[in-house]
Amino acid sequence: MKTGEIISNKLIQGSYFQVDFYAPEICRAARPGHFVHVQIANLTHRILRRPFSICDCSSDGALRVLYKCVGEGTTALSKLQPGTVCDLMGPLGNPFLAPAADEYPILVNGGYGAAATFMLTKESSNGGLMLLGARSASDLLLVNEYEAAGFEVRVATNDGTAGHQGLVTDLLQQVIQQETTRKWRFYACGPEPMLMAVASILQKNHLSGEISLDHLMCCGVGACFACVVKVKADTPEGWRYARSCKEGPVFNSEQLYLEK
Amino acid sequence: MADLTTKLGPVTLKNPVMTASGTFGYGFEYKDYYDLRKLGAVVVKGIAPFPSHGNPTPRVAEVTSGMLNAIGLQGPGVDKFLTGDEYMPFLRASGADVIVNIWGKTIEDYCEVAARLDADCAGITALEINISCPNIKEGGVAFGTDLNLAAKVLSSVRKATSLPLITKLSPNVTNIADFARCAVDCGSDMISLINTITGMAIDIKTRRPKIANLTGGLSGPAIKPIAIRMVYQVAQAVKVPIIGMGGIMNADDAIEFMLAGASAVAVGTAIFADPYAPLKVIDGINDYLEQHNCKSVAEIIGALRLS
Ligand SMILES: Cc1cc2nc3c(=O)[nH]c(=O)nc-3n(C[C@H](O)[C@H](O)[C@H](O)COP(=O)(O)OP(=O)(O)OC[C@H]3O[C@@H](n4cnc5c(N)ncnc54)[C@H](O)[C@@H]3O)c2cc1C
Ligand SMILES: Cc1cc2nc3c(=O)[nH]c(=O)nc-3n(C[C@H](O)[C@H](O)[C@H](O)COP(=O)(O)O)c2cc1C
Ligand code: FES
Repeated sequence: MKTGEIISNKLIQGSYFQVDFYAPEICRAARPGHFVHVQIANLTHRILRRPFSICDCSSDGALRVLYKCVGEGTTALSKLQPGTVCDLMGPLGNPFLAPAADEYPILVNGGYGAAATFMLTKESSNGGLMLLGARSASDLLLVNEYEAAGFEVRVATNDGTAGHQGLVTDLLQQVIQQETTRKWRFYACGPEPMLMAVASILQKNHLSGEISLDHLMCCGVGACFACVVKVKADTPEGWRYARSCKEGPVFNSEQLYLEK
Repeated sequence: MADLTTKLGPVTLKNPVMTASGTFGYGFEYKDYYDLRKLGAVVVKGIAPFPSHGNPTPRVAEVTSGMLNAIGLQGPGVDKFLTGDEYMPFLRASGADVIVNIWGKTIEDYCEVAARLDADCAGITALEINISCPNIKEGGVAFGTDLNLAAKVLSSVRKATSLPLITKLSPNVTNIADFARCAVDCGSDMISLINTITGMAIDIKTRRPKIANLTGGLSGPAIKPIAIRMVYQVAQAVKVPIIGMGGIMNADDAIEFMLAGASAVAVGTAIFADPYAPLKVIDGINDYLEQHNCKSVAEIIGALRLS
């Protein structure tokens, strides 16, 4: 098999697909939170690659990406047949810090954010908790997989079709307020407004966590300054623009400069 | 192997393919991909005398066969560029030929950055002056779209440095040849073109501009025919060497630029699709020369047949 060759590519639920690429070298180097920059083979009148979190890596070199069809690139990707080869760059970015032996990971995810943190399940010796938010029950991803990996899952949906009706940040507030003796480590990935709310809740409670951001990318390696995000810095303005493909996509919530 | 050595006025490069400013960072970002000495030259992202945040986000939008960008020249400033590990010290150690692209908001800015680089010029092959920036003292008119402003900034920079100078022209003008002649009259050793073409894109769902800056510079294959036309016009107007760019995706595109009159080329947006694109262009030019029994690149420069 050639590197980048599609092993399988199928609809899993709603508008979410799962693609496995043959990529043994990337699999060997991949850490939770890394991403791959994919040149979608049949997207010929578009130039840019599409970035996707690495959801899982198997020992036989299958690199899994879970993606939502949202536009031209992801729609084109969903039509690619096994055997097609896509050029992959990766693993790229600054990954999550794995939980320490005495830490209990709490994941706060929205939509395909559940894919970005999935490899953390293999790094935790104490199980963990995932708070997962989505529009509707059919958008909840990887719930069985997390549970099979020993994680507790609590869900929130906007329409109340599963779990708490409301936002995943409501669940986060509850968890923080609950009395607990465990040593937490927070991780979050999902839509930007949700992540900014998570960062703000953590900052207000003097907690910190690791937040993976999705920003539009061109080069993916720090060369073009397309993907920047404001982080706190010793400048007259109190912030600077950091390249999320290189210094991120994972940032510590304390680093992020939140607009008032 | 054909002889790929490329003579550009006072400068000789090992081959005619460089990276376009702003698309290859400071070389450092691609150090794990290949040996930078394989490139004709590394042209770094624009350097000003001061550090700069750049524009708000979103800064880029993909469009059919190209992209719009309004990065707004984010950068470390010349002091950090000359001393920071991931900038000039790295490039010097890499042994690559380096062209430093410079910009400013005033004529004094351009002169200051040119003089600073002149005083610390080890490893610098040439300076490329980006005149597509707005002049804040003259109501934001871009230096590169006003012949008087262009002449003032270019002749001032010429006095500030003895390094070989490349003037990078803005395509957002009616008569590109006038600006090329102006650059040569002001002492430029070479001309590079084209910079991006001002464009705009709107998200029809939100009815908002796709980039925060409202307008951005169009690059990629969408602009290649315009760039070829402009290179041809400039080649007819001036005698100095031309570095052609704008939408080069492969060797065929690069050869088109050379036939139109470019002595060298730069690969930009294509690097986002494939970091190896510049190396593939070098190999492809060599193959073309061999297939056409040309001993050197010089044989195809300006070799367009009109009859
Ligand atoms: C680090 C990172 C990890 C990601 N992980 C996943 C994942 O695991 N699963 C998944 O479904 N999606 C993920 N995304 C988002 C994914 O990259 C976009 O959904 C995808 O690029 C959309 O492409 P399109 O052509 O279908 O959409 P279009 O809207 O047609 O794309 C137009 C342009 O905008 C860019 N773009 C659009 N939406 C996004 C977005 N949310 N983030 C970044 N760029 C965007 C595209 O890359 C393209 O350049 C991730 C993004 C980043 C930055
Ligand atoms: C993201 C991006 C950043 C750029 N930054 C600069 C810059 O700092 N200075 C400059 O002179 N040109 C800059 N350019 C213009 C390119 O160097 C080049 O002139 C233009 O993109 C056309 O070539 P291309 O179509 O191969 O990209 C930039 C282009 C892009 C796409
Ligand atoms: S995508 Fe180019 S710097 Fe991040």
